[in-house]
Amino acid sequence: MAHAGKGLITAREAGLVACRNCGRVHAGDAGFCTRCESRISSRDPASLQKVWALLIAGMIAFIPANIFPMLKTRTLFEHSDSTIMGGVVELVGHHSYGIAAIVFIASILIPVGKFLAIIYLAISVRNRSVLNMHQRHKLYDVVEFIGRWSMIDVFVVAILSSLVQLQGLATINPGIAAVSFALSVIFTMLAAQNFDSRLIWDADRIQK
Amino acid sequence: MTDTQTPAPLDVRPAKQGAWKRLSLIWIVPLLALLISLGVAYQNYADRGTLIEIAFEEANGISSGETVIKYRDVEVGRVEKVTFADGLGEVIVQARIDKEVAPYLDDDASFWVVVPRVSLRGVSGLETVLSGVFIQGNWDNEADVQQYEFTGLDQAPLALARQRGTQIVFRARDGQALSDGAPILHKGIKVGYLEAPELSGDGTSVVANAFVESPFDRRITSATRFWDTSGFSVSLGAGGVALNVNSLASLIEGGIAFDTVVSGGAPLIEGQIFDIFANEETARESLFASPDVEMLTVAVLFENSVNGLTKGSEVRFQGLRVGEVLDLTAVVTEDRDSAQVLLRTILAIEPARLGLGADATPEQALTFLSNFVRQGLRARLVTGNILSGSLVVELIEEPDAPTAVMNLAAQPYPQIPTTSSNITDVADSAEDVLQRINDLPIEELMTGAIDLMDSIERLASQDSLRTAPASLAALLDETRELINSDDIAKIPGEIRQSIADLNAIIAQAETSGTVDRLNAAIDSVTGVSDNLFSATENLPQISAQLEALTIKANDLDLDGLLVAARDTITNIDGIVQATAAQDLPQSVAAVVENLRTVVSSNDLAAIPTDLRQTIATVNTIVSQAAAADLVSKLDGVVAAAQGAVTSIDNAAAGLPAITVQLEQLATKANGLDLETLVAEATSTLDSIDTLVGSQSTQDIPASLSAALDEVRVFLGDVRNGGAVNNLNTALSSASEAAQAIEDAAASLPALSARASALVTQTGNTLDGFGERSRFNAEMLAALRDIQAAADAVSSLARAIQRNPNSLLTGR
Repeated sequence: MAHAGKGLITAREAGLVACRNCGRVHAGDAGFCTRCESRISSRDPASLQKVWALLIAGMIAFIPANIFPMLKTRTLFEHSDSTIMGGVVELVGHHSYGIAAIVFIASILIPVGKFLAIIYLAISVRNRSVLNMHQRHKLYDVVEFIGRWSMIDVFVVAILSSLVQLQGLATINPGIAAVSFALSVIFTMLAAQNFDSRLIWDADRIQK
Repeated sequence: MTDTQTPAPLDVRPAKQGAWKRLSLIWIVPLLALLISLGVAYQNYADRGTLIEIAFEEANGISSGETVIKYRDVEVGRVEKVTFADGLGEVIVQARIDKEVAPYLDDDASFWVVVPRVSLRGVSGLETVLSGVFIQGNWDNEADVQQYEFTGLDQAPLALARQRGTQIVFRARDGQALSDGAPILHKGIKVGYLEAPELSGDGTSVVANAFVESPFDRRITSATRFWDTSGFSVSLGAGGVALNVNSLASLIEGGIAFDTVVSGGAPLIEGQIFDIFANEETARESLFASPDVEMLTVAVLFENSVNGLTKGSEVRFQGLRVGEVLDLTAVVTEDRDSAQVLLRTILAIEPARLGLGADATPEQALTFLSNFVRQGLRARLVTGNILSGSLVVELIEEPDAPTAVMNLAAQPYPQIPTTSSNITDVADSAEDVLQRINDLPIEELMTGAIDLMDSIERLASQDSLRTAPASLAALLDETRELINSDDIAKIPGEIRQSIADLNAIIAQAETSGTVDRLNAAIDSVTGVSDNLFSATENLPQISAQLEALTIKANDLDLDGLLVAARDTITNIDGIVQATAAQDLPQSVAAVVENLRTVVSSNDLAAIPTDLRQTIATVNTIVSQAAAADLVSKLDGVVAAAQGAVTSIDNAAAGLPAITVQLEQLATKANGLDLETLVAEATSTLDSIDTLVGSQSTQDIPASLSAALDEVRVFLGDVRNGGAVNNLNTALSSASEAAQAIEDAAASLPALSARASALVTQTGNTLDGFGERSRFNAEMLAALRDIQAAADAVSSLARAIQRNPNSLLTGR
């Protein structure tokens, strides 16, 4: 069978190309969308490069985000810098397991998970994968959806920093890690966005 | 490929381009991220400062990441890690120091933990109660060889490295005077601090580092003497009682004062060692002795008790201090038949003080002394302080001493022969004096005086006076002759004159207010005794003069005086009771009753009675014939006594004068020619009698009427002349005088009571300096209270130091 074993035929195989912006289907050689005038192409040839580049940038940014202090808390009595992991450990020390879990999941688990997921997707485009293309597509959806929630940390820092500015008594300032973390999240989201999910299907074909 | 619904052909070949050509610009993004990250990392690494290690005995609340290191109260670093040294021997604090500051951390850098500290000088480090402890660093502003490992100090160093001044070392016999942080005072101004004292290496003394700030350190030379000013000192020395109290802080914390009295000392060098003397006096005395000079050690064996001699007691040679007592031991010497306990006193004598020149050796001094011993030099104990009874050893020359030589071979030291000691115990002598005063038979004196009065009164009220009318007839005869005589006519005028004189005397005695002045004197004595405590500053002179006074008082022939007084009174008594005197009233009675009989006038009738009293009073007055003199002298005495108590200095000189005057008084009183007076009175009366019994008297009956006429005329004259009135006035004055004397006598018990109160008060005052007195007990109690307070403060300070949070938590 010339078509996919499961009776699926890709738009590309059908000589069509869809606008990813508005969804209008064009002929395969169309350069621009006739409706929304956005650039269309059947496949983004630089997609993987972009994914990798942004992913690496995000991972690089993630290192200082964990090493440097996220919050600089200065009260009357003490002065403390807390990193993300340090905060988690401290919260566990205070038996606030729930909050510790939230911080840990939002700040460590999800970003790391995203990295791993994007890496997996990017690799699986070229190589054989354990997951089939539907599962991988679902994974991609999850990554895209969940990406924005990683910014919760940055929002917390931003809110705390702006609210807790009691001169002398207590001040909270964002550390370098806050910026790094935000950058990391941004890069990761961009990487996920730049991943051309259609490549998942192509890869499946190649493997066939 | 099927033929149905063939899609438009689409080139799906993957682009076959060169790897580099396919490279997207997007790779700049991770590259930038990498660069920025690396840049941040490097920046952080470059900024993080120099790692140093400070070793502390204990962490004292240092926590990693939080405790800061401050220099001049500016944060220059932060503790990174607190670990233990190998073997848990000490705490290693790792800290990052700012790069700008780190080069200055050379070998003079020191670190200590600032904790809250409450001391008498104030509260410090209170900010650490809230902020937690911090490490204070201290180093000078010259970069030297940079160091990375330091040893933390237990507490803030004496002087910060930037402070200018000189470090010196104190050496003392015990550490009581030296407390950590105690001030060094110069003329009452704090010029430095002490560090905590430590036992010296050989354990014989206590040494403490001290820091004297610039420019005060220029005041210190090798001739400077330091002494302990801690607390207060009550010294009962040869100079009297001295109470010195310094500032409250030094009362509890102690303090060191210094002064440079002698110029020409070598300039101060860093770390110079100074001895601390017990007090200013010894410090100043030591100025004239070099502490390093070699001493000549000799022994003296005293047979009698050396109670009062202590280690450090003076050794005097011709009145100058030449050394001190080193040691006192008892030795048993075996005589042929009996053992004797002798007290061996070891003396340390400075050769230079014997006048042998500054570089005299002990050997020279020994030769010098043994030569002197051959000439009669002896050691003896003399009283150094009459109040405390402390003794000093005196080397004196006794020209007539039995020949003796210095026992140069005696062990352990050469021996100086002794002579009898000269110990005066002023307390005993004073007690003796007071005892003698107590024992004086004043009451007997009073009894004698009262007896005298009684005798006089008896004499005046003798029956013989009343029986005078019996001789009326004889006298009537004689009266005419009497009245006829010109002499008799003059008598009223003379009597008037003498009565006027007596009046004047009595008035003088009254107006001079002797009794009042005596009372005033006693009041001032009481005032003086009240002020005796405050007068203790005069004690130096007083004690010296007291000694002379007591000796003089001891020598006073008070008993003799009393005996003389009693003799006088007895004499007067005797005179009064003498036959002549006994006869006197009879003669007078005869005369008076004659007169009375002759003159029947009512005015004159009153005269005999009055005259009887007058004569009694006159007798009294006559017995005090020197009354005017006595009054003025008594005045002088009272004034002198008053002056004496006001200034005991004068008293010392005044008392002999008083006694001399008293003696003179007694002598005068004794010497009063009363017998002659009485004899004269008797002879006068006798001559009156003779007159009465003379031939012309016989003619009285014949010329009785004429005589009566003349008598009437005479009486008229007398009445007109106011003689009777005068007589009455004189008699009332005499009576007043007698009353005054009685009053004076009545005030004598009060006087003696006051004197006794004075003596008791003096005794209390003296007792007050006794060992187990209330003053001492109260002083000790006060000191205990102060100590308890100090303990409380220090325990509070400790508690705060250990647990600063307790200030907040209230535990």
